[in-house]
Amino acid sequence: MLITELKARETILSYATGKVFIINCHGCKEIYFPEHEADALQKELADAGKVTGIFTTDYICNPENLKLRLEKYMSAIEAADAVLVFSCGVGVQTVSEYLDSKRVYACCDTYALPGFQGVTPLEHDCDQCGQCYLNLTGGICPLTACSKSLINGQCGGAKNGKCEVDPNMECGWERIQRRLAQIGRLDALKCPIQVRNYATDDEVK
Amino acid sequence: MENYTKYKLKAYGELADLLEGKDNLFIIACNKCFKEFETLQEPDCDAFLKLAEGLDKNITGIAKADFLCNKTKAQKGLPAMIPEGTEHVVVISCGLGIQTVADVSGRSIIAACDSINYTGHHGMALTKKACDACAQCYLNITGGICPIVDCSKSLVNGQCGGAKNGKCEVSPDKDCAWQKIQERLEKQGRLGELTAQSVQIRDYSKVNFKVINDYVKAIRGKAMEGWYGGVHPVEGKEPTEAKPLVKFPTPETAVIPLSMHLGAPANPVVSVGDHVEVGQMIGEAAGFISAPVHASISGTVIAIEDRPHATRGTCLSVVIASDGKNTIHESVKPNKPLEELTADEIIEIVKNAGIVGMGGAGFPTYVKLKPNKPIEAVLINACECEPMLTADHRVLLEYADDIIFGLLAEMKAVNAPKGIIVIEENKPDAIALLREKTADIEGVEVLEVTTQYPQGGEKMLIKRAMGRSVPSGGLPADVGACVSNVSTVKAIADAIKTGMPLIERVTTVTGKYIPNPGNFVVKIGTSAADLVAACGGISEGDVLVKAGGPMMGFPQTTLDTPIMKGSNGIIAIDTDVSEPQECIKCGRCVDVCPMELKPLHYFKLVGAQDWQGCKDMNIMDCMECRCCEYICSSKLPLVTMIKMGKNGVRGMK
Repeated sequence: MLITELKARETILSYATGKVFIINCHGCKEIYFPEHEADALQKELADAGKVTGIFTTDYICNPENLKLRLEKYMSAIEAADAVLVFSCGVGVQTVSEYLDSKRVYACCDTYALPGFQGVTPLEHDCDQCGQCYLNLTGGICPLTACSKSLINGQCGGAKNGKCEVDPNMECGWERIQRRLAQIGRLDALKCPIQVRNYATDDEVK
Repeated sequence: MENYTKYKLKAYGELADLLEGKDNLFIIACNKCFKEFETLQEPDCDAFLKLAEGLDKNITGIAKADFLCNKTKAQKGLPAMIPEGTEHVVVISCGLGIQTVADVSGRSIIAACDSINYTGHHGMALTKKACDACAQCYLNITGGICPIVDCSKSLVNGQCGGAKNGKCEVSPDKDCAWQKIQERLEKQGRLGELTAQSVQIRDYSKVNFKVINDYVKAIRGKAMEGWYGGVHPVEGKEPTEAKPLVKFPTPETAVIPLSMHLGAPANPVVSVGDHVEVGQMIGEAAGFISAPVHASISGTVIAIEDRPHATRGTCLSVVIASDGKNTIHESVKPNKPLEELTADEIIEIVKNAGIVGMGGAGFPTYVKLKPNKPIEAVLINACECEPMLTADHRVLLEYADDIIFGLLAEMKAVNAPKGIIVIEENKPDAIALLREKTADIEGVEVLEVTTQYPQGGEKMLIKRAMGRSVPSGGLPADVGACVSNVSTVKAIADAIKTGMPLIERVTTVTGKYIPNPGNFVVKIGTSAADLVAACGGISEGDVLVKAGGPMMGFPQTTLDTPIMKGSNGIIAIDTDVSEPQECIKCGRCVDVCPMELKPLHYFKLVGAQDWQGCKDMNIMDCMECRCCEYICSSKLPLVTMIKMGKNGVRGMK
């Protein structure tokens, strides 16, 4: 559930000074994978005679299946000076751990996809803050609906219901207020401030 | 395997405070995702129930849902679930589920849980924490070890308090990420690359909820256009889409199976030694759901025996040795012009010509032309959503007039005022051509639809083109539709215009292991081996040969099978050597199932031989499009299990 973007062309070409073996991961393609851009670039490399093999598969983050699937490509990988991986950061790390004596290059940058839980998100975001505020906000998350993730304190001020950061964005707190009014729970806003705990999962447990 | 628990119940005191003064609670709990799929019993729901009962609260109802964050499903199911008298909805779920319930129900909700922060778990397989999705991948300068995740302080420059003996200063149990990076780079002789690298300051501004969320909404909106689910496999049509049809030579021997359709196999009406001619009936229909078969070449019947069959193992077949003359049988003669034919006459022609659905299923076409309900529109399925195949595409381009003729004939046969030719947007040349040719024909239109598998599924097509849902177990006619594949209507045109029954079809031969791929007009009964040989054979390697496309095609162990009425392609592709792993409830199969089923459950239910359970979860609605298996992150053989499940349900008393 990741969005990946190709690194700059020059950057990728700089990894391919010698021969390369290319691995594409299409596991999260239904969300996004720059398939056509990656294809075009790889074709260019292949036409230049730099490619010992291209292997397109899915879920390379699964180390067991990655190993099984790479087996028949090992000689092509041996023949390459570097392995170019077009996948999210998990995929790159899985490959580089398995081929730990090989140069393995990431050809994509990985963007966080908000709401990475359950099925591909439709429109709601969860920042996994570990401290759910939704009870106080009528089920609208201030961490993701507000540009500044404000839960207390003030922002520069919304104008006509729009965010000060982005005039195309609705103010999250106005949405919260509307929702609370709709369900007759405006009293929830009078609760004492709950300061956000920034501890990570390692620290919380 | 790690348990990626998504949320945890809030503390007792906090919950007690939350419930203060509130009563008449409806509880909805999400069956967590991204964890090994063992049981649907999550303890959180019971724990909350106990707590609420301890506080003397009235519970109006309890429900458990898979993937509560799936808004499409929540909208359909949730409102009806909430009993009257409910004042508050308690949601036991991660933040996504809570927001979905708040949004869909419009009610006062009580979030009983906190989501657990687990940054770094972004892959689909359950692996160790790995990627923080920082949008600025450092792995290239660190030998593939992530400093953002593996270093306690996510350091990419500057110094920490100092590692001791390779262990982190924050926790002596943790390896120092930078030491690991150094060791890996040293091993690869690349340490110089790192030290020569200028500092890359981390850019914290890139990750933006709104931009990405808008983006996700946009692609999801497009993916959900008309119907739910679907996937976008690599199209792989480039090698053959521009290759004109080539007439494949008459084979020396034609092996014509008596079953190339759904329903009863045809009964042979010729004997060994008989001379037959092109278009002569050699097998007659054996019931209402059946179809006759015809000789595709002229010559002598040399055998009537079981022969290999691409989808059924073996099948009784009529084997004809060609006399090389292709003499046409006397029964083959043109019919009256379409304007003079009655609906019944058209249906009779279609029936006698042995025309069946040529998209692959092989349902006798004449039966579709006798619906028991009024038909509003005839839909021509020209989506060809199956990857790699281009047979229908070429038929559209090279037989456009016949397709329109066949469509008009079908419209007349079922008395439909409208005809819609549905083409996926990846065939712009065909769309333009058909639009031009149908511009002046009243009631006929060309509909361009998104390229998405299985857009060409009958039910998807109807939903997209007419906005109507065929009920579970129902037929297209139930919603006023009649759907035919593009090659089928071409065959109808031939049968009416020339009187020639269905004796040839267009097939694509393609794939990585086919040296000279192409599209061919092939006589039915031609050996697949001959066809493949003409394309240069199959090159060396671990090859998987399928009759049909990569999604719905049937794996073949021999090429000694004949081309049949439904043979839209032969492909030779890479084998996959992955092994099934435990289901981790990633929910992808639920997300892509166009029939809105929950395939992950079938795997469990079939394993337990719980046929009633399969039936209750509508397993019979599955059309075996293989989207679930394609997307499965654990590579489970879901369709094989579903087929077993269906057999199990059929065997129930």
